[in-house]
This record gives sequence, C-alpha cells and structure tokens, in this order.
Amino acid sequence: MTASLDARSINMTFRNGDELTRVLVDVNVTLAPGELVALLGASGSGKSTLLSIVGLLLRPTAGIITIGGERADILSDAKSSRFRNTRLGFIFQFHNLLPDFTALENVGFPAAAAGDGMNAAIRRRAEMLLSRVGLSERINFPAARLSGGQKQRVAIARALMNHPQLVLADEPTGSLDRASADQVLALMREINREDGTTFLVCTHDERVASHCTRRITLRDGRIDSALDTQITPET
Amino acid sequence: MFAFLVARRYLGSNPWQTALLVAGVALGVTAFVFITALIQGLATRLTDDVTAKSAHVSLEPADRVARIFHNPRLHTEAVALVSTLQRRQIRAWTATVALLESQTSVTAISPQITGSAVLVRGEAAAPVAVTAIDPRQLDAISPVSREIVAGDTSLNANGILIGVRLAETMGLSVGQPVLFRTDRGIARLLVVEGIFKSGVQSVDERVAYLSLDTARPLFLLPAGVTNIEIKLKDTGQARSFAKFIGGATGLRATPWQDKNSGLADALTAQAQTGTLIQAFSLISVLIGIASALSLSANRRRSEIGIMRAFGISRNFIASVFLLQGLMIGIVGASLGCFAGYGLCSWLATFTKTDGTLALPIAPSEGGYALVFLLTTGGAIMASVIPARSAARLDALEAIQQ
Ligand SMILES: Nc1ncnc2c1ncn2[C@@H]1O[C@H](COP(=O)(O)OP(=O)(O)OP(=O)(O)O)[C@@H](O)[C@H]1O
Ligand SMILES: [Mg+2]
Repeated sequence: MTASLDARSINMTFRNGDELTRVLVDVNVTLAPGELVALLGASGSGKSTLLSIVGLLLRPTAGIITIGGERADILSDAKSSRFRNTRLGFIFQFHNLLPDFTALENVGFPAAAAGDGMNAAIRRRAEMLLSRVGLSERINFPAARLSGGQKQRVAIARALMNHPQLVLADEPTGSLDRASADQVLALMREINREDGTTFLVCTHDERVASHCTRRITLRDGRIDSALDTQITPET
Repeated sequence: MFAFLVARRYLGSNPWQTALLVAGVALGVTAFVFITALIQGLATRLTDDVTAKSAHVSLEPADRVARIFHNPRLHTEAVALVSTLQRRQIRAWTATVALLESQTSVTAISPQITGSAVLVRGEAAAPVAVTAIDPRQLDAISPVSREIVAGDTSLNANGILIGVRLAETMGLSVGQPVLFRTDRGIARLLVVEGIFKSGVQSVDERVAYLSLDTARPLFLLPAGVTNIEIKLKDTGQARSFAKFIGGATGLRATPWQDKNSGLADALTAQAQTGTLIQAFSLISVLIGIASALSLSANRRRSEIGIMRAFGISRNFIASVFLLQGLMIGIVGASLGCFAGYGLCSWLATFTKTDGTLALPIAPSEGGYALVFLLTTGGAIMASVIPARSAARLDALEAIQQ
C-alpha cells in the first residue's frame, strides 16, 4: 500500500549568519494511510520544523518527501502551493481562521480560491463538514466571534475540505481548555476512524498522544525509534 | 471572481479606515478638478478679454524685399527694385474684403487707416494713435460705442473720438474743436464728438477714432487702406485662418496670438503651474493608497500566511490587494469628480457686480475623464507595492509571528 507520507533522511540546518543550528538529523518518518500519529518531543526538539518540512512550507537542507506516492520536495513554488491545496490539510495553534469570513466561507475558502469562487458544491461540502464537526448552528457565524474550540473545529473542517491525503496539525489544542481540547481530539479521532484520514499531530502533551494510534518522538534532532510505538487510543 | 469578494470583504472589515482612505482620495481628486477648472477658466477669461477687444487676424501689406530674377537667356540678372519710399498700403482692399465676406468663419471685417498724429490745443500737444474706420462698423473689432461716456459715435466728417484720459489732460470736452496734425504734416481742425473710457490706460490716453473718409486726405491715402482687421467665429482658428488668408491675398496676416505673446507666455506658465499642482495632488493620493494598503497587508500577515499554507497562490493574494486599490481608486475618483464638479459649480454662482464670475472657474472643464483614469490607473500602480509584499510573504514566518 502507498504510504500517506514517506519522509527519508530529512536534515535541517538553520543558518543565521555564521551560526549554524542543526535541528533535524537523518529523520525518517513513514505514515500508513489511516494512521493518527502523535509527534512528540521536548520544546525546541524540532517538531514544528519537521511538520513544516513535510507540509512543504519549509525546504529541508536534505531529504526526500513522498506524499501519497508522489515526490513533493522538488516541486516549484507554484506547484507546491497547488499540492498543499489539494493534497494536504493544515491545523495550526493560532490564527487559523480568516476573521472577516464566516465559518462556512472559511471552510470553503481553499476550494473557492483555487477554483472560480464559492459555488453550490463547495457550499454543500462545507456545510456537511461543519455539521460533521458539530457546528451546523454556526455556519454563517463570523469566524472572529467563534470560541477557541469552535475555531479549531472549523479549522479541522477546512483541513478536510479538499479530501487531503494527510492532515498536519501543530499543537491543535495548545491554546484550548481541557474540555474543548478533549472535544477537538475526539473529533480528530472520530474522523480518522470513520473516514480513514491520516493525521500527523505534533504536541508535547502526553494527553494528546493518548488519543492517537501511534506515537513517534523526536530527541536531539533524531527520531527515537525505541519510542516509536503503536498504541490503542482510549476512545 | 473570488479575489474580488475577498478584496471587498477586506475593505469592509474596517469601514472607518476605508472611508477615510476613500475620502482622502476623493479630496485629492477634488483638488485636481478644482485647479483644472480654475486654470481652464482663467485661460478662457484671459483669452476672451483679449479677443473680445481686438482683431483675431490682422492683414497688412507684406514686407517688400528686392527680388533677383534669374534669366537663363540673358547674361545679366534682372533686379526688381523696390522703393522703400513707396507708400505701404493695401490698394486692392475692396477685393480682399469681398473675399473675406465670402468666408463663413469670418464674423467682422474692418478696413482701416492707422497712423499717428498730434492733437494741439493752445500750447498743449499730445501724440495720438489714429484708427480710421467706417463709422457704421465702429464696433466691429472693439465695442467702442459701449465705452462712450460723453457725446456720441456718429463720427461726422470733422468728428473725432478720443479717450477719457486724453480729454482730461488736454482739457477737452464734447463739442470743442482741436487741431489735428498727422504724421504726413497735414493739419485740420476737428471737433471732439465723443469721449470713451475703455479702462485700459494706454488706450484712453493715446487712441483716437476718425471716419475713413475724414482720414483719407489727412493721411494722403485717397484709395487704399493700411490694414484690414478681421474677427472670427472661433478664435482658436486664428492661426490657420491667417495662414490661409495670407496665402490667398499675399498680404501679411498676423493672428492675435502673435500680437499677444505675453498672453501666450502667461497661459503657458499658468498651465505649467496647474500641471504641477495636479501632479502633486495625484501623487499624494497615490502615496495615501500605497501606505494604507501596505499597512493592511502588514496587519494581515498571519492571515496571508495561513492562506499560503493551505495553498492559495501568490497571484491570488496579489490580486486581492490590487483589487482593493482599484476599488478605492474608482470610488474615490468618482466621489472626487462629483465633489469637484459640485464645488466648481457652486463657486461659479458667485458673480461680481458687473456680472462676471468672481472666480473665473469653468466647472465643465475639470478634466474629469483624465483624473478618473489617472486615479484608477495610479491606484492600481500604488497597490503594486503592497500586493507584491503580501504575495512574497513567507507562509511559515507569517504564521509563527
Ligand atoms: N528560522 C529558524 N532559524 C534558526 N533556528 C530556528 C528557526 N526555526 C526554528 N529554529 C530552531 O529549531 C529548533 C526547533 O524548533 P521547533 O519550532 O521545530 O521546535 P518545537 O519542537 O516545535 O518546539 P515547541 O514545542 O516549543 O513548539 C529550535 O531550537 C529553534 O530555535
Ligand atoms: Mg512547535
């Protein structure tokens, strides 16, 4: 079976003037379709950096990235933009939504802007996704007025809009209270189980990991293979 | 177009700031319209003032130059000698007048004898510039009869019209005789028939009118005239008409512009000043748009970063900002044009006691199409910088802030 994500020998060294910061060293990550993987590691261990690299937002110093069987690290700027739009989903910790647009418009935005605007099909799918994340009551609500947990659920809906092969989430519950965080995590787990969507969630929170099917850990810029474990998430 | 919707939403998200920006653009456009209408109105007034009281084309005998005829059959050259002692006059003036009368663009024709003379009264003497005309066409070139302050304009055989300042300095009043001696040395007693006041000091002090018949013996021109003055329907055509009539008659034809090079210089200087002010008002408009959109692009960095992350193209983001500039330009320019027209029309309702405009403004000449195009075109140009900086934003950097 084609892996959802196959990252080979990823190396990342930041350079600020003469100062070199080696963040990732020969990192290998493979995600099978339908996995919900927690990427753990101490603060500063390189989780966000790795996520940005496999999300094509950052070019690694070296390494090969294959997503859904397609080489993705060698794409031009415009092509990688297109690739992110159609094949990947993103959920960040902050600033996820466009505050001047409604929940529905936020969800439909990636499809509308890539095509020729909002149409009935986009609207229908966005509505369906919003009701999926439990926000059918907030469809036409301005994003700026949603609560933190609601915002993250809209972000999940938007990440799913274009049927992505891989959803990348960076501390998706980092700024939520415990109840909202649990709700968001349960939702991700549910979508993962029911739709088979592959997630890579980076977090330093063990509780987040407990919702996942597998955990990998970054330490000193390397994947600690001793800590690569399949787990049975609590449901 | 989805980018258009996004641009509109962005402008609408901060209605006060957008309103302020549009108002700034409109104000600049209003200033542009005002200055354009004023410069145009001033030019028209100055031109009208000059052309209302003077000829549009003047015909005089051509300068005579000696010509050499080359004759291949002779071994000599023939030289057409020109006597500078000969009197300069238009002998065939009736034919010229007939030709002019057949031209539809001509509204008035005044064959004249002009010369200089001295008015003598007792021990007082004053030089005058004499214009001798057909009394029935006294007002053909300049509305003399409207400027009469004493007497009348009948211009009998021994009558003369003089200016009010000349009358004062010579102590002359209507009905009084005065000795008139021309530069031909011929003198005759004339009677002051009317006194005019043109308001132009040099005219009121120097100019005198006679009838053509009275002038002929005095200036020794039994048949000819010295010049023919012409008025045209359209003063703007003076130059081309002068060229045409000069060619047709062999006379020297001078358009009014050439006799008033000072006016032309003044108009040019005025137009340049206007252009400068127009340019400054446009530049301030464009700087306003560029800075407002740059601030907006900067404020929306993280949003733009998110959009770039989920794969919105750089072109889309650039077009959102270009469209914002375009909309601000169109709305601001339209409002500015309306406001400018309103302002100019309002200013044009103020008149002085003599019925002329207090401010010589031409509301219809505000350069509306020009300023609209320049503003909208300029607005797009002004938004290129913020559009580019927004499009070039690095997604990751923007999100992490
Ligand atoms: N642009 C950059 N230039 C230089 N160093 C960078 C840059 N981006 C990240 N780093 C460094 O790379 C290391 C890893 O950063 P990263 O953000 O990936 O950590 P993280 O595991 O996500 O941490 P956290 O849990 O706090 O979010 C850090 O030491 C950071 O300082
Ligand atoms: Mg991080």
